[in-house]
Amino acid sequence: MARKNKKKGQAKFPLPIPMVMLVIALAGFSLVYVCLQSRTEKLGREIKELESARDGLRAQFVQEQCEWAKLQSPSRLDQALKAHGLVMTWPGRDQIVRVRYDGSLDPSRRFDSRPASRVARSDRIVMND
Amino acid sequence: MTDPRGSTRIFIIAACLGVAMVGLVVRLVVLHLGGVEQDRATVAKTRTFKQTLAVPRGRILDGSPTAGILALNVGVKDVWVDPAQLMASNRVSETVTRLKSLLDFDTAEITARLCKTNSRFAYIARQVPENCADVLAKLKLPGVFMNDASIRSYPQNQMLCHVLGSVNNDGVGTGGIEQLMEKFLKGSQGLIESRLDGHRREMVDRRTLEIPPKDGADVALTIDQNLQFMVEKAIDLAMEKNRSRAAFAIIERIRTGEILAMVSRPAFDPNHYRTARDQQKLNRTISYTYEPGSTFKVSVIAAALNEGIVTPGTMFDTENGRWLYQKKILRDYHSYPHLNVADILKKSSNIGAAKIAIMLGDARMSRYLRLFNIGSKMGIDLPGEEGGILAPLPKWSAISSSRIAIGQGVAVTGLQMLGVLCAIANDGMVMKPYLVKEIIAADGTVLLRRQPEVIGRPIRPDTAALMRSLLARVCEEGGTGVKARVEGFRVAGKTGTAQKVIGGHYSETDYMASFVGFLPAEKPDIGMIVVFDEPQPLHTGGAVSAPVFGEIAEQAVRYLGIMPVEGAAPVPSGPVPESNETF
Repeated sequence: MARKNKKKGQAKFPLPIPMVMLVIALAGFSLVYVCLQSRTEKLGREIKELESARDGLRAQFVQEQCEWAKLQSPSRLDQALKAHGLVMTWPGRDQIVRVRYDGSLDPSRRFDSRPASRVARSDRIVMND
Repeated sequence: MTDPRGSTRIFIIAACLGVAMVGLVVRLVVLHLGGVEQDRATVAKTRTFKQTLAVPRGRILDGSPTAGILALNVGVKDVWVDPAQLMASNRVSETVTRLKSLLDFDTAEITARLCKTNSRFAYIARQVPENCADVLAKLKLPGVFMNDASIRSYPQNQMLCHVLGSVNNDGVGTGGIEQLMEKFLKGSQGLIESRLDGHRREMVDRRTLEIPPKDGADVALTIDQNLQFMVEKAIDLAMEKNRSRAAFAIIERIRTGEILAMVSRPAFDPNHYRTARDQQKLNRTISYTYEPGSTFKVSVIAAALNEGIVTPGTMFDTENGRWLYQKKILRDYHSYPHLNVADILKKSSNIGAAKIAIMLGDARMSRYLRLFNIGSKMGIDLPGEEGGILAPLPKWSAISSSRIAIGQGVAVTGLQMLGVLCAIANDGMVMKPYLVKEIIAADGTVLLRRQPEVIGRPIRPDTAALMRSLLARVCEEGGTGVKARVEGFRVAGKTGTAQKVIGGHYSETDYMASFVGFLPAEKPDIGMIVVFDEPQPLHTGGAVSAPVFGEIAEQAVRYLGIMPVEGAAPVPSGPVPESNETF
């Protein structure tokens, strides 16, 4: 007598395909959402860090600007000249050679055509005396 | 075969898990969908984050080609302590000692503050520089925290203090350009609304509102810091030499009204404006009125020439330096029997100027002075400008015109007096003086660009030209302003030595010494006034102020690239043809 096949007698569990698809889709969407969320958070943190860095750099830039303005100030330059024993004087009238362009394209006529030795007088005053 | 006991166990476990799950779901639903509004509000409040974004105040720049920075905001830190946290750490004395090594404070006062354990906040020091704050942060002291702040910094310290003004603790301008340009300089704050995570960090992706801050605009002045420094240096040296109580000077561009330098002494450091005295804060160039003395003769003589009442050659009897008029004696510094109008100006004769004023008449004189802006503000873009004092015509006495003509019984500011000379130099046109050249927004947009503005024309161009030639004679040999001369240039100007009114009487010892003029006389480019208050022992404008004018002008023409006028019609010099009529 042949043995009864038990497996044949078992009723098959019907797989709810739409349900499975829905679950898979939900799982997929959730995964995407979590990925996007973590990516957004990461970008947010980066933005925050960059904002801090920008603020820091801006503050540093302002500090440097302030220092530079102090260094460039006429009083500081005056002090520096004094510290190095330098005396700056404005040039005398006879120390200024005026160069004028008369509109001519001829280079020889643009500038004082006299020999340099005649223009630059030997008795000119030493400025930093 | 199925074990019935096993099935029961599974059922019990499943039931427990099911109940637990249902409980969690119910709790979640309750938490998320309401029912505990108060809790939700508390959670939302603790997680909400609001931050105002401080905006840097705009800079103030000078008018030199390099646009030097005169004022800007720099970052600092406010250091504070949580006394409860510090006490709990048991390191109070060590912390105070370490703080003291870096910061300047009163140890006893700070220790008292730190001992208030019921308090969670106590300032230790404010406006600590960034470099110092960095060192402090590295020490990681318990209960010590720092907040970001910013202060207004003036890199040039004392220079130009009266023009720049200052900013108070709330960051609001309280004087000078800082006050007047507040709406442009301050910018607008930004705002961030967001949420915090469990570590109290902002979740940037949950930002619900972000309004970016709008930086303050930069204000560019007409003042050139290099020229300003030259003037300040010259004034400081002269003040020391002449032992004067105060002094001021202004340089103005004739054709436009741009102020190139403005100096007032005594001065203060705007970085420490709280310690400055009122006398130091006073901008004497615009807020201090004084009797101008002989410099005022210029306006009266210009008016008389413009009306055609006199010519440069009209002779006047100058009474040998002593004249009784309306029972009051008027004296000249040097006595002359007769002088023509040109020499009245050159020798600065009080009697001659008084006689010209009487010829001009009260009404006409008053009208001309008003046209020269005497008695009203020039409208410079600085707060605190005074309009001077010129009595209304009905209140003039019989001798008023004779006294006003010599600069007594009338009060002006330095800027007004310079305005008179600049009008003469500018073909009779009074220009509105201004300090702000441009206002530039943070994005580079030009919000304002000033244009020269004519505010009056009291005299005709030909009268102005005549006056220029007469004023140039003042700086020639024999004139009172000979020390104002600049090599290679013709200088035109007028000296003034005014007795100060002290206790209702003219002082015999205290004077205001002034010189106001312009150059080159033939084609004026810059005008300048230099005034010293109570100089000692020399006290005349010609001896005290004129040399300083000359010294500054000599440097200014080189710096500004002003050329001596070649080929222009020369200003008549030498003797003026005299008329036969004598007054």
